[in-house]
Amino acid sequence: MTGKRRWTWLLGVLAMAAGFSMMIAAYGAAGTKTKTTSTKPVGTLRAVLDTIDYLDPQQAYTAQSFWAMWDVYTTLVTYRHVDGPNGFKIVPGLAASLPTVSANGRVYKFKLRKGLRYSNGKPVKASDFKYAIKREFLSTGQGVGFYTGIVGAKKFSKSLKGDIPGIKANNPKRTITIRLVSPRGDFLTILALGFAAPVPTGTPPAIQNGNIPSTGPYRISNYDPNRSFTMVRNKYFKPTKFVPRGGPNRVEVSLIGDANSAVQKVIDGQADYTNAAIPPDRIASVKSKGTLFLHPTAPANTYYIWMNTTVAPFTNVKVRQAVNYALDRKEMQRIVWGGLGRATQNVLPSTYPSYRKLNLYPHSMSKARQLLNQSGVNKSQKITVWARAVSDSEAVATYYQGVLKSMGFTNVVLNILPRTTYYTTIGNVNTKAQTGWARWLEDYPHPLDWFEVLLYGPRITAQDGNNYAYFDNKKINKEIEAVRKAPVLTPAVNAKWAKIEKQIMQQAPWAPWSNRVWPEFFSKKMSCIHVQPLFGVDWLRLCKK
Amino acid sequence: MAEPATEFPLDSAAVLAAEEHEVPIAGRSPWYLAWRRLRRNYVALFSLGVFLLIVIACALAPVYADYVAHSGPNDQHTGEQVRVNGHLRPIVGGGSYFDEKTGKFVIRDLVVVGPTWWHAGGRYVLGSDILGRDVAVRLLYGGLNSLKIGIGSALICTVLAVTLALLAGYYGGWADWIITRFFDLIWAFPVLLLAIALASALAVNGFHHFGINIEPGSLWIPTLVISYVLIPYIGRPVRGQVLSLREKEFMEAAIGQGARPLRIMFSDLLPNVASTILVFFTLIIATNILTEAGLSFLGAGVRPPNPSWGNLISSGQDQIHTAPWLAFIPGIAIVLTVLSLNIFGDGLRDALDPRAKVRMEH
Repeated sequence: MTGKRRWTWLLGVLAMAAGFSMMIAAYGAAGTKTKTTSTKPVGTLRAVLDTIDYLDPQQAYTAQSFWAMWDVYTTLVTYRHVDGPNGFKIVPGLAASLPTVSANGRVYKFKLRKGLRYSNGKPVKASDFKYAIKREFLSTGQGVGFYTGIVGAKKFSKSLKGDIPGIKANNPKRTITIRLVSPRGDFLTILALGFAAPVPTGTPPAIQNGNIPSTGPYRISNYDPNRSFTMVRNKYFKPTKFVPRGGPNRVEVSLIGDANSAVQKVIDGQADYTNAAIPPDRIASVKSKGTLFLHPTAPANTYYIWMNTTVAPFTNVKVRQAVNYALDRKEMQRIVWGGLGRATQNVLPSTYPSYRKLNLYPHSMSKARQLLNQSGVNKSQKITVWARAVSDSEAVATYYQGVLKSMGFTNVVLNILPRTTYYTTIGNVNTKAQTGWARWLEDYPHPLDWFEVLLYGPRITAQDGNNYAYFDNKKINKEIEAVRKAPVLTPAVNAKWAKIEKQIMQQAPWAPWSNRVWPEFFSKKMSCIHVQPLFGVDWLRLCKK
Repeated sequence: MAEPATEFPLDSAAVLAAEEHEVPIAGRSPWYLAWRRLRRNYVALFSLGVFLLIVIACALAPVYADYVAHSGPNDQHTGEQVRVNGHLRPIVGGGSYFDEKTGKFVIRDLVVVGPTWWHAGGRYVLGSDILGRDVAVRLLYGGLNSLKIGIGSALICTVLAVTLALLAGYYGGWADWIITRFFDLIWAFPVLLLAIALASALAVNGFHHFGINIEPGSLWIPTLVISYVLIPYIGRPVRGQVLSLREKEFMEAAIGQGARPLRIMFSDLLPNVASTILVFFTLIIATNILTEAGLSFLGAGVRPPNPSWGNLISSGQDQIHTAPWLAFIPGIAIVLTVLSLNIFGDGLRDALDPRAKVRMEH
C-alpha cells in the first residue's frame, strides 16, 4: 500500500468508527429515553405557593394552609387520598374506626388508635382532642363557629374559662365522647377540619413559628413567615390504610405572591410545582414548558361580589338585583382568568348534588339601570368597592367599579387592602364595608359550609365574620336550621337546599360570578399527578419521571 | 508731588472705563449673574426644556383623552374592537374557553392590542392593558398625578423645612436642639419604609383629625406623607447655612438696629439662603417623584384604578413577558423626568455658586 493510499485507508476507518460510535450513542440515548418513562421517588419536592396565613391547625384557614396542613396534622376522621368522588368519603384518621352515633344524632363516640405519638415522641391522648377544641376558642381561630354546637362550647367561648362538658375524654381507654346541643348532618365533616386536630395539652394559643408537634406523615421543620416553610418526615407516624406514608422525603415550600415569578421558577427548574394563577396572557406559552393541570372542581369554589345588606345603597334589594343583571359574567372569566373559569349565578359550585343551575339575572345593562331607577336610591352617594391586593381581585374590583358607573352611580372609589388584612377588615362590622370582592373555597363538601357559614344570620359576628353581606333573613335562617339536622344528603334534602339557594339569590346579597378552574403547573420531570377532590394535588403521591 | 494711587476716586474710574469702552458700568444683582451663567449652560437649559415638555404634555392629559384617544384613564373596553390600518382588531382578544363538544378547555393566551403608533386614529397609541384601558391616556394622567404629588410635596416640604431651619438656626439653644432632634428622629428611619408605614396606616380610613378630613385614596395622603419624611433633606443643610450666617456682621447690625426676630429671619437670613433653597427645591422634586413611584409601586401611594407612573409599572409587570412596554414606558417617563430635573438642578447650583465665574473662566 502506498503512503497516500495508507492515509486514505486510515481516514476511512476512522470515519467509519466515528459513524458507528454515533449510532451506538443514539441507540443508547433512545434506549435511555425508553427507560425514563418509569417513575422514581421525588426526594425533595420544591413547591411554590401563594401566601399562607398560619401553620397552626387551630388558626389556618386559607386553602393553601389547609392543603399543607392536611399532611401534617391528622384529625380524628379525615378524607381518603384518592381521586374522584371517593375522595369525599370520610374515613378514620387518628380514630380506630368511624364513631358510633346515638339514635338522636347528638352523641358521637370515638376510640383512638393504639400507640399514637406526636412528632416529638410524646403520646397522643384523648384529652388532647378536647384541648384542641378549647384552644380553638382560646386563640379566637376562625373555625370557632363550627364547634359552638357542642354542649358547653358556647358558654366556654364567652368566658374562655372552665371546661367544655360536652366533650368527655378517657385517656386510659383512649375514648372521646362528644355531645351536641342538636343533631348536625355535617358534624363528621366538621371534625375532619384541621381546627379539630389534636395538639399536646398546654400548647399556647398563639404560636407563629410552626413548631406545634404533628400527628401526620410530616412535620414542620422550619418556617420563615411570608417566605418559606419546610416539611420533613414525621418519624413517629405510622401509615394506615387511609393515610399513607408519603412519597417525598422533604417538601420545601416557597411563598411567592407574584404569579409570574412563581411560574418562572418552575420553568427555570428551581421548583417542581406551583398552583399560582398563571397570567392569562402567557398561559398557552407556559403550558408548552411544563405540565399544566386544570382541575375545575378541586377545590370547589365560588368567586362572588358581596353587597352589605345593612349599608346603603345595598339595603335595597332592587340595587342588589341590578348589580347581578349588570355583570357580564362571561366577559369576566376572560379578563380575570383568561377564560379559565365558569360563569355562575349560584352560591354552590356545580359539584354539589344539591346544585341546580340558576339563571335569574341574564346580563342586561338596560335592565340594571331600570331597576336602579326604580329603587330610588341616591346615585351620587359614595360607594367604596373593597378588594384584596392580588391581581384577580383588583381586576374584578376595577371592572365592577366600571359597571357601577355604567349603571348610573357617579361616585365609586376603590379601596384595595393588603392580602393579610383584607378579610379581617371587611369581616369587622365597624368597617361598614359596602361591597367588594370575595371568594369561598369549600372547607368540606356540604351545603352547610356555604349557607350556614356565609349567609346565615345567627352566625354573624362583630369580628372575623364570613358573612360579608351581613345577610340575615329570618325565614331563610329557619329553613337552614330545619335542613341542618338531616344526617344524610338524600335527594329530598338536596332539593330543600336548592330551594334555599334560589330564595337567597332572589334576595341577591351576592353577585356570584365564577367557579374558577384551578391551574396547577408542574415541571416536565414530575409525574404521578393525582387530584384529591377536596385538597387538590396530592403531594403524598407525587413522583418524578 | 503727585497724588498717591490709593486716593484715586471711584467715580473717576467709572468715567475712565466708560471712555475706554463707551458702555456705562452698571451694577448687576447676583441673580442676574446667575442667570447669565445658567443661560450659557446649554445642557441644563435643554434638560429644563425636557422637563417643561413633560409637564405640559401631562397637563394636557384631559385634552388628549377627550379629543385624541376618546377614552378616559379608567374606561374599560374589553369587549370592543379598534380599527388599525383599516383592519378591525379586538382590544383584548384571545383567552381560553370551555369547548362543550369535547368537554375540555381550549388553552389560548389572552392578547391585548399593542402600540398602534397613530395607525388607529389616535386610539391606543401605546396599546392597551388587560382591562382594555388606553395606556397612553393612563401614562399622561399618571404623569399628572405623579407630578402633582412630586411638586406639591416638594413645596410643602420646602416651606416646612425652611421655617424649621430658620427657627433653629436663628434662635439656637433649646429651639435648635428640639428641632434638630426632630430632624434626627425622621432621618433615623429608612425614608421609603417610613413612607410606606405611614401611607399604609392612612390607606384604610384616611385622616380625620384636628379638623382635617382626608379620604382614603386622596392624593393628599402620599403628598403629605412624602413631604413629612423628606423634611430633614432640606432642613439640615439650610439650618447649617443659617447657623453660619447668624455670626455675620450684617446680622449684628440688624439686631443692633432693633429689628424683630421674624423680620431678621425672613428679610435678612432668608434671601441669603434662597439660592440654596432653590437648588434643593429643584432636586427634591425629582426625589419626591421617585419616592411617589416607589410608594405607588408597592401599593401605598396612588390607589388603583387611578394611574401613577409607579402603579403603572406595578400593574405592567404582570404582563412583562408578553407586553413589556406596559412596564417600560412609565419607567422611561420617570427616568426622563428625574434625569432632566437632576441635570437642571446641577446646572442651577453651578449658576448660583458665586465661585462659578472663576471656575468657568479657568
